[in-house]
Amino acid sequence: MSPQNEILLEVKDLMVFYENAVAINNVSLRCQKGKITGIFGANSAGKSTLMSTIAGLILDLKKKEERKGGERISWFGEIKFRGKDITNVEPFERASMGIILCPERRQVFPESTALENLKIGGYLATKEQARTSLEYVLDLFPELKPLLKREAGFLSGGEQQMLATGRALMAQPKLLLLDEPLLGLAPSVEARLAKAIKKINEQTDITVVLSEQYARPVFPIIDHGYVLENGSVVLDGTSEELMNNPDVLSAYFGI
Amino acid sequence: MELLIYGIVNSMSLILMTIGFALAYGVSRIPNFSHGALYILTGYMAYVFFAMLGLPYFLAILLALLFIGLVGAALYQFILIHLRGMPISEIIASFGVGLAILEFLRWAGLRGMAITIPPFIRGTTTVFGVILDYQRIIIILGGIGILFFLYFFTSYTKTGLAFKAIAQNERAALALGIDSDRAAVLAVSMGAVLAGLGGVFLLPLGNITVEMGYEVLIFALAVSIVGGIGSWKGVVYASFLIGFAQILTVRYIASHWHFVVALLLIIIVLIVKPSGLYGKQKELEERV
Repeated sequence: MSPQNEILLEVKDLMVFYENAVAINNVSLRCQKGKITGIFGANSAGKSTLMSTIAGLILDLKKKEERKGGERISWFGEIKFRGKDITNVEPFERASMGIILCPERRQVFPESTALENLKIGGYLATKEQARTSLEYVLDLFPELKPLLKREAGFLSGGEQQMLATGRALMAQPKLLLLDEPLLGLAPSVEARLAKAIKKINEQTDITVVLSEQYARPVFPIIDHGYVLENGSVVLDGTSEELMNNPDVLSAYFGI
Repeated sequence: MELLIYGIVNSMSLILMTIGFALAYGVSRIPNFSHGALYILTGYMAYVFFAMLGLPYFLAILLALLFIGLVGAALYQFILIHLRGMPISEIIASFGVGLAILEFLRWAGLRGMAITIPPFIRGTTTVFGVILDYQRIIIILGGIGILFFLYFFTSYTKTGLAFKAIAQNERAALALGIDSDRAAVLAVSMGAVLAGLGGVFLLPLGNITVEMGYEVLIFALAVSIVGGIGSWKGVVYASFLIGFAQILTVRYIASHWHFVVALLLIIIVLIVKPSGLYGKQKELEERV
């Protein structure tokens, strides 16, 4: 296999159950190194569950639910990162392997300043890496420069998303998981962020997986897309293939 | 002048007594109800190392602090870790451990007024015309030192920043590679060391008694409720509020009322602003 189409992330026959309800039903997907993969679907299609299963946060959720005697969460199947099975690896270990999730609804640290958010993002980075990454993030999002001293909770949605993306970049990702990065943003800001995501992918060797409800704004930047419905993959293909599918156009792309 | 200086001393004492409780809660969301027991245990261990084993005083204190740090870590690693996310169980378990420690100490001979550790420096001096012993000056300086240390620790070190991250959003912190269990064990351990530091600063002023352990826990709760639980700013402001209220009560009403003032302030704050001066109602809701 040439390094050009090396598979960085492979999900094989993944099933996730919350108690007896199926959240992810037999999902398989492959993400090529250096590419952008999109995961599309309506609310409750399983996008966020899939993302947090890849990032390993579901292990933490399971642990907490077990301690409380709450919902039983279980999963079957395999998640491979760079050929290694990581299905039961703790989330912070996955992060240090380079799998970094930028969670849904941004989840910035609201009481910390923007700069502190970025510094926290650099938890896994060396001093040298943190310095270069900070420079890169501010270069990518110059809008953040005058806001560095501001508390993150007071930033606008678009600014928070830039901050959350920048924070994830500080963590030295190899695989960047963006869970609904454009949620609730104005169209002009959507375009701005989509461009930035493309730029990240082009300028660094970071592989991106992003999930969205409405595919239109990110459609031009993805290489490959999967469409989820009720936890199952109902369609997948390159962006052109998806674009030319009439069902997809009407149902998911709002065109 | 006397009121002002003794008010500051009293407020600083409250900060020293409670900052460890606030730190552990702020990071790990664990209300460590064995806080007062850890405070007394440190003093008692310092007494054991110094008076019974004859070690140099500062070495004895250092060993006692190290010991209490390990106790805190063990408390989390072996007991509290199983109860994360269940506040009532956390309270019962940590309070139980505190009871066990304090009553064990009583059984082991911590009775009456006989046991005490000496001040760091003996003697008194005059500050702005007020007679003040050196230990109380050390308390003021030590309190300020600890607050500065904590500020720099949480602003400039990776572990400190990780503490802040976990306190604000555990999931987001996990996704960035921060291990929440490791942060929590460190936080509870650090909270124990801070409780111990409070003990070695403050206990030389009086005797080491089991009752003092319960009293410290009540003060920690009073400061946390008045200031807003887990909030650092809240700890400082509430300590000064309660500290000065106590000194004024002692001066103008009667000295045995000073304990009631703290409790009265709890009730007033709970009526007027239930989340505390700097607390966030939102956090309380999320917790429920």
